[in-house]
Amino acid sequence: METMIVTGAGSGIGSALTRRLLDENYHVSAWDTDPGDLAGANDENLDFCELDVRDADAMSAAVAGAVGKTGKIAGLATCAAIFHTRPFLDVTEDEWDSHLSINLKGTLLACQAVLPQMLEQKSGSILLFASSIARRGAAESAAYAATKGGVLGLGRAIALDHARAGIRANILSPGITDTPQPRGNMSEDALYDWADNIPLGRIGMPEDMLGTALFLLSDEASFVTGQDIRVNGGASLF
Amino acid sequence: MGEKQNILITGAASGIGRASALRMAKSHHVIVADRDGDGAGTVTSEIVAAGGTATAIAVDVSDGASVRAMKAQIESNIGPVLSAFFAAGIFIRGVTGEIPEADWDRMMDIHVKGTFLCCQAVIPDMIAANKGAIVNMSSDFAVMAVPGAAAYMAAKSAIYSLTKSIALEFAPQNIRANALGPGPIDTPILKSGRTEAEYAKAREAFAENLPIGRLGQPEEVAAVLDFLLSDRSAYMTGQIIHPNGGQLMW
Repeated sequence: METMIVTGAGSGIGSALTRRLLDENYHVSAWDTDPGDLAGANDENLDFCELDVRDADAMSAAVAGAVGKTGKIAGLATCAAIFHTRPFLDVTEDEWDSHLSINLKGTLLACQAVLPQMLEQKSGSILLFASSIARRGAAESAAYAATKGGVLGLGRAIALDHARAGIRANILSPGITDTPQPRGNMSEDALYDWADNIPLGRIGMPEDMLGTALFLLSDEASFVTGQDIRVNGGASLF
Repeated sequence: MGEKQNILITGAASGIGRASALRMAKSHHVIVADRDGDGAGTVTSEIVAAGGTATAIAVDVSDGASVRAMKAQIESNIGPVLSAFFAAGIFIRGVTGEIPEADWDRMMDIHVKGTFLCCQAVIPDMIAANKGAIVNMSSDFAVMAVPGAAAYMAAKSAIYSLTKSIALEFAPQNIRANALGPGPIDTPILKSGRTEAEYAKAREAFAENLPIGRLGQPEEVAAVLDFLLSDRSAYMTGQIIHPNGGQLMW
């Protein structure tokens, strides 16, 4: 059995991915500040680690724990992120810093926690979750958009730096998805009405992201690295 | 994509098309279409020998009558095609200022018009079924550039644009269209126009320059094709995926 690590595992796409990986017979080291949807989950292959992606030491300890258990980290999926909309001129420095430190620096630190083990194995697949907002932008979303654009750059850099070591890194950019995240910024009706803007006629479900995530994390995608795969129902074609 | 489907693959006698036909035939009926009818027959025999089922068809995708004849043959002998990979392509090297008009036309006819005609041929079945998945063969060169490949690059960019148009137009009918944009893959197209010695040297150069340190294998592209035709990518349309070893990241 091999370990997959998921950050932001307590809710949204992160918790759906955690459950799917358990179904696929992985040991999952699930990281979040709160167990959320995973509270009470009773699976011997699930290790929930209550930690913050801003805490490098805690993540290194969690990696060591996972390696102690299975000996191998097959992959890392970084889902942890916050998203608060705000008119541009009202964005406070604190709000900017919290987006940058969780969404972008937290992603870097999680990768740095996992990479030494992957380098030793000479294998591993990293999947960073960005957003269609990384390319398109969105109104009143400056801090979030900046972090997700940064994730694209970070993912490509990791891919280039470690390709020769047998490590792949890719990015998955979901369009608007039926998770708690957009509900912080829009009404239930507005969320579902968004389907009118999407060629395939519906907003994404967390499950829509899982097929792509599993593909990129697996050896099936052995020649795919540094790519940003856009899963958005055709809402954004670049 | 659990149930057994009919999958049409053009350019299926060699390279990525062939690898895709062999892979998809493990769980589906594959229509192995190629200009090289004998080659298509050989791949079909390989599939049958491995316990699968397949039909070989000789087709010139640049010729509307030939594509319509293929469609008629599929209609009467096989049934609806709701899943298709259009991979037929050629490569002609040439400095832009010196490309003969005939070479230009041939590149555009086979790649762009061929993809267009094949999509036109299969979409009506998909509309009737309110379901379909099309994958068109583009290239990293739809986005990036190298010298001496103007016609190929223009053709592959056109295929990518065509794919996006189809994705938008037919999304309401639940038809998805995506493109594959491979990097350097160990196939006859990569070898074309090169002697054995030149190809050996080119392979070394590719391995040295690609982030991943090696050429891709056709089977690695076939794995991405399988993903794009399957329900694993049910919410993806109008996209291009690059199995390219990191050659291009955008």
